[in-house]
Amino acid sequence: MIEIADVTVKFGGVVALDNVTLEIADDVVGLIGPNGAGKTTLVNAFSGFVRQAGGRISVHGTSLSDLAPHERARWGLARSFQKVQIVPDLSVADHLLAMLDSKGLSRAQCKEAVHHALDFVGIQNISSKMGRSLNPYQRRMTEIAKCLVGAPRLILLDEPGGGLSQAEMQHLRRVIRGIHPEYGAQILLVDHDVDLIRDVCASTAVLDFGKLIAFGNTNAVLEDEVVKTAYLGR
Amino acid sequence: MGRIFSYATLTGLGLLILALIALPLMLGALWIKVLTSAAIFALAAAGVALVYAQLGLINLAQIALIGVGGWIALRLNYATDLPVTLLVLIAGTLTGVIGAIFALPALRMRGLYLALVTLMVAALFQIFFNAFQFPNGGEGFWGVAQKSASEVRRPGFAESDVGYYRYTLIFMAIGFGVIGLHKITAPGRAWAMIRQSEANAMATGVNVTLYKLWAFALSGLLAGTAGALLAGALGQLDARSFLAGEGILLFALAVVGGVFSWVGAIVAGLLYKLLPALFNDLGLSADVAMIIFGAALMHAIMTAPQGIAGQILGAFNRGGSDD
Ligand SMILES: Nc1ncnc2c1ncn2[C@@H]1O[C@H](COP(=O)(O)OP(=O)(O)OP(=O)(O)O)[C@@H](O)[C@H]1O
Ligand SMILES: [Mg+2]
Repeated sequence: MIEIADVTVKFGGVVALDNVTLEIADDVVGLIGPNGAGKTTLVNAFSGFVRQAGGRISVHGTSLSDLAPHERARWGLARSFQKVQIVPDLSVADHLLAMLDSKGLSRAQCKEAVHHALDFVGIQNISSKMGRSLNPYQRRMTEIAKCLVGAPRLILLDEPGGGLSQAEMQHLRRVIRGIHPEYGAQILLVDHDVDLIRDVCASTAVLDFGKLIAFGNTNAVLEDEVVKTAYLGR
Repeated sequence: MGRIFSYATLTGLGLLILALIALPLMLGALWIKVLTSAAIFALAAAGVALVYAQLGLINLAQIALIGVGGWIALRLNYATDLPVTLLVLIAGTLTGVIGAIFALPALRMRGLYLALVTLMVAALFQIFFNAFQFPNGGEGFWGVAQKSASEVRRPGFAESDVGYYRYTLIFMAIGFGVIGLHKITAPGRAWAMIRQSEANAMATGVNVTLYKLWAFALSGLLAGTAGALLAGALGQLDARSFLAGEGILLFALAVVGGVFSWVGAIVAGLLYKLLPALFNDLGLSADVAMIIFGAALMHAIMTAPQGIAGQILGAFNRGGSDD
């Protein structure tokens, strides 16, 4: 259960999030909106990377707003970045291990968790490859696998489909659909790809100019006239 | 990230044994002393290199911190009967704490600004050392008297210059080992995440402040250890050896040597201490060394970002699996 209450974020004169209030119970939920609508800003508010002018965010009864950013990650908030974050001189497996370092697991448990996550997203074969030599698809998958280790409670994926080919998108869909059944984490998926959202998200929220303009069953939201004009716009 | 017993480590251990056994047989007393100093500064250079390679932060105050470690070691040497090795460890630890404290306000800075702040810190210590000098066995807290210095103790098993040279090399090797271990375990991964971006590190659960401080503390620990070893090597420290400008030189040489490997730290130590001594031996001015340093720095910045070590190691392996 995610509770977003009156969240406002301003950058100078720009109101990136304007009193957003939202309660999400579904396991996989979509977040869409035109460029600059505030999607990434909302994800950053979860992470604690932006200063909120007001409002609170709690997940499963824990008030994230009271935790430092790294404490939120340790609590079980995992996320991927719109601009993928891969360290050039770190192996794929080490990216995942870094996530586990703060979780107090044994060596064997870490190894097992890394193995399982890499296997789940289908990149077990490149676990010792260095970040600098990964292709865009492998980078995305590494980042998603990183979100899966260490018992995540909420996973935020910020446009994971960006820059992928059709075939890769197919695989990504299968992976995202499988995450909740396999890992039990709730998922918030930001993407421009309406097909992907329709495919994996039970409910969807729509942001426009920092305001929440629609929320509900994905198909209903996508048929909504207001959403069509704001977002699909054509 | 490599394994603990990579080729580089094994080669290093081989070289260490060679340096421990063979060099004293081949070299005279003067050169053993020079190499002792080179090893000491290599240890300190490894700290500067660590902070720069792992976090991209420039620390120009390392020579000052060597002075701090030396000061603490001398102070304890005259004030207590503690075993020398314990003195070295205490001096190292305290200097690590001091290094972290001075890094605290600098944590939000990077690049040129941080470099300037560390330079100011170095200047502060330069003034301090000039004003109070290093303890030489006198009375009172500052322990300075108008007399020739009383004896600085060395460990019983390392009284001779050759013995102390070996003692120093062991410390240097342990220091490199500690750094190497950090790089392949949790701190190394945390630093890598910070390097990528602080947001990325926080999203990975890394306490950015803590790990930055830890890098500075570790670097300070190495500087303090080096300072304590230097006090034992020279028997006395002179404020003129710890000018702020020397800190810039050590950083530059660490870059020239290569910040990504212990080989680079050794190159830096040799350039800092052995090269001037060689020139002196050949009757050349020490200024020639400075000119060579300048040219080497240009070379490193323009064509060899991994330093001389990168060029040496590059000939052997390509580092990591890229395929
Ligand atoms: N750090 C920042 N400083 C200033 N303005 C910002 C910052 N981050 C975002 N903004 C502004 O806030 C608004 C929302 O941006 P945000 O990145 O959240 O949009 P988005 O919905 O993720 O867009 P996109 O689909 O392009 O990723 C935009 O007007 C953007 O310019
Ligand atoms: Mg965005």
